[in-house]
Amino acid sequence: MNFLERFLKRLGFMILTIFAMSILIFFLVEIMPGDVAQTVLGQAATEESVAALRESLGLDDPIHVRYFRWAGGFIQGDLGQSLYMRGVEISSIFWRRVGHSMILAFTAFIFYVPISILMGILAGVKAGKLTDSIISVFGLATMALPEFVSGIILITVFSVYLKLLPIASLIPIGETIWGNLDILILPALSITIVMFGYVSRMQRSSMIGVMSSDYIRAATLKGMPRGYVIFRHALKNALLPTITIIGMNMGWLFGGLIVVETLFGFPGLGSLTLSAIKTRDVPLIEACVLFITFIFVFSTFITDMAYAFLNPKIRFKQGEV
Amino acid sequence: MNIFLLQLKKSPRAIVGLTILLLWVFIAFAGPSLISWSYTHMDMEYQMAAPGEGGHTLGTDALGRDVLSRIVYGSRSILTIALMTSLFSSIAGIIIGFTAGYFGGLIDTIFLRIMDILMAIPPLVLAMVILGILGNSTILSLTIIVSIAYTPATARVARGALLTCTSNEYVDAARIRGESHLYIMFVEILPNTIGPVLVEITARFAYSIMMIASLGFLGVGLQPPTPDWGMMVIENKSIIRTAPWTVLYPSLAIASLVIAISLFSDFISKVMIHEE
Repeated sequence: MNFLERFLKRLGFMILTIFAMSILIFFLVEIMPGDVAQTVLGQAATEESVAALRESLGLDDPIHVRYFRWAGGFIQGDLGQSLYMRGVEISSIFWRRVGHSMILAFTAFIFYVPISILMGILAGVKAGKLTDSIISVFGLATMALPEFVSGIILITVFSVYLKLLPIASLIPIGETIWGNLDILILPALSITIVMFGYVSRMQRSSMIGVMSSDYIRAATLKGMPRGYVIFRHALKNALLPTITIIGMNMGWLFGGLIVVETLFGFPGLGSLTLSAIKTRDVPLIEACVLFITFIFVFSTFITDMAYAFLNPKIRFKQGEV
Repeated sequence: MNIFLLQLKKSPRAIVGLTILLLWVFIAFAGPSLISWSYTHMDMEYQMAAPGEGGHTLGTDALGRDVLSRIVYGSRSILTIALMTSLFSSIAGIIIGFTAGYFGGLIDTIFLRIMDILMAIPPLVLAMVILGILGNSTILSLTIIVSIAYTPATARVARGALLTCTSNEYVDAARIRGESHLYIMFVEILPNTIGPVLVEITARFAYSIMMIASLGFLGVGLQPPTPDWGMMVIENKSIIRTAPWTVLYPSLAIASLVIAISLFSDFISKVMIHEE
């Protein structure tokens, strides 16, 4: 299987996955107890007004008709109207929220990627020593820590006691996120603590694997400086598994954002998703969840392609990999 | 078993983890009869009392409810749900993953594709959406939904574990003897995959705690007045400046439990991989 074939196959599968997920999400929201029109209008609404709203929302059409209308609109960039905020076009709030989440995810990314990789290398090179034990235990401890727990600990230290950073990540009305960059630090650090465990452990084990290989031993025996061997010879091969893990986790990062954004009140996609669920805003739930799925699938696709491209075994091999 | 204890002695991390875990299990069983406050009792004289005031060891929240008592009662639900989800998702994963891996071919391909598709949505998002839609979560609905959200991951592990065994002679021997597929899968192969399966169950336990605490925090977990650690954090987040103990102690409870299980599950995986 050459690179192009792999690319087309993965692309096809990505589209299939998004299609399948859109059906799943649509039907999932469909089973929501209670009548949508009734929920929107409240208990006091008359039967006629409920019927009229059902009519105008097209809720009486057969389910497949509604699915294709919704999916068709989605492909054309029409996310529909919010039910909770009557008459508000979802796209008018959605993309700004997505932008905020992207900025937060990116900030977290530039925190945790270098720190985790460097610590992982250090632990791998010093395997079995005290440095390794400290890094490994810390990584192990934070791996399954919920993001809000690390966030609360950070808030207690940096906001409540040291009073250095804001407790909540709100953007004042009339201002943009760019004038309030300090609100990003604590949410990004909360994510960093949790991601650190995963990435640094991966980097450590791949580093140990590479360091014990023959070509590294040969380089060391030739008398090359240790730093040169580690960074010029070993790292090239030891980074590949870590990059894969980081890429695969990009979508997962978006899941974690829901928790972090809720904790800090950050106006991003995650907190929007949660409030959509709380207010039973069907079109908004569908838009948010489908978009999170899209990010997840797309980052997996990109990672897979980058991996195939960086790995000469796949790039040049003709047979099945 | 002896080897297990011998290994345990040599690993201080695992001993620390296991001790904290057993301590929490003890608190869940015996704790409620050792504390003096009920978790719903609102002490009107002591609202937002600091730890130690008015006989409230860990203080009270904005409604005057005892923080310690709510943490102790909260340990019951989170341990129960997490234990059940890690068991159920592992059992479901074994049944699905074994069936796919054992029969191979088209069944396996379809299985892999379905799992890939289901894995395209983060488990937390999936569980949050379903629980949010259903509303009024109970211990049962939480257990079922979280188990479903984790099954694609466990099924993959189980399938991988089975595939390492299928080429062994004892499987061929059983086949030639004319044993049924079910017998081969669950009597011949399953005991030989117990290592990876056990590792998966203990690791899943830590992630279940993480997920359940997060769902409680997001407000789609157990409903008030049932005490829930995650919910305690979000309920009191607005008073963190004046009464930090109301959020810090439940957070530390979650952290200690998760870290303890992670330390222990890391030990299990080291022992199991070493043995193989």
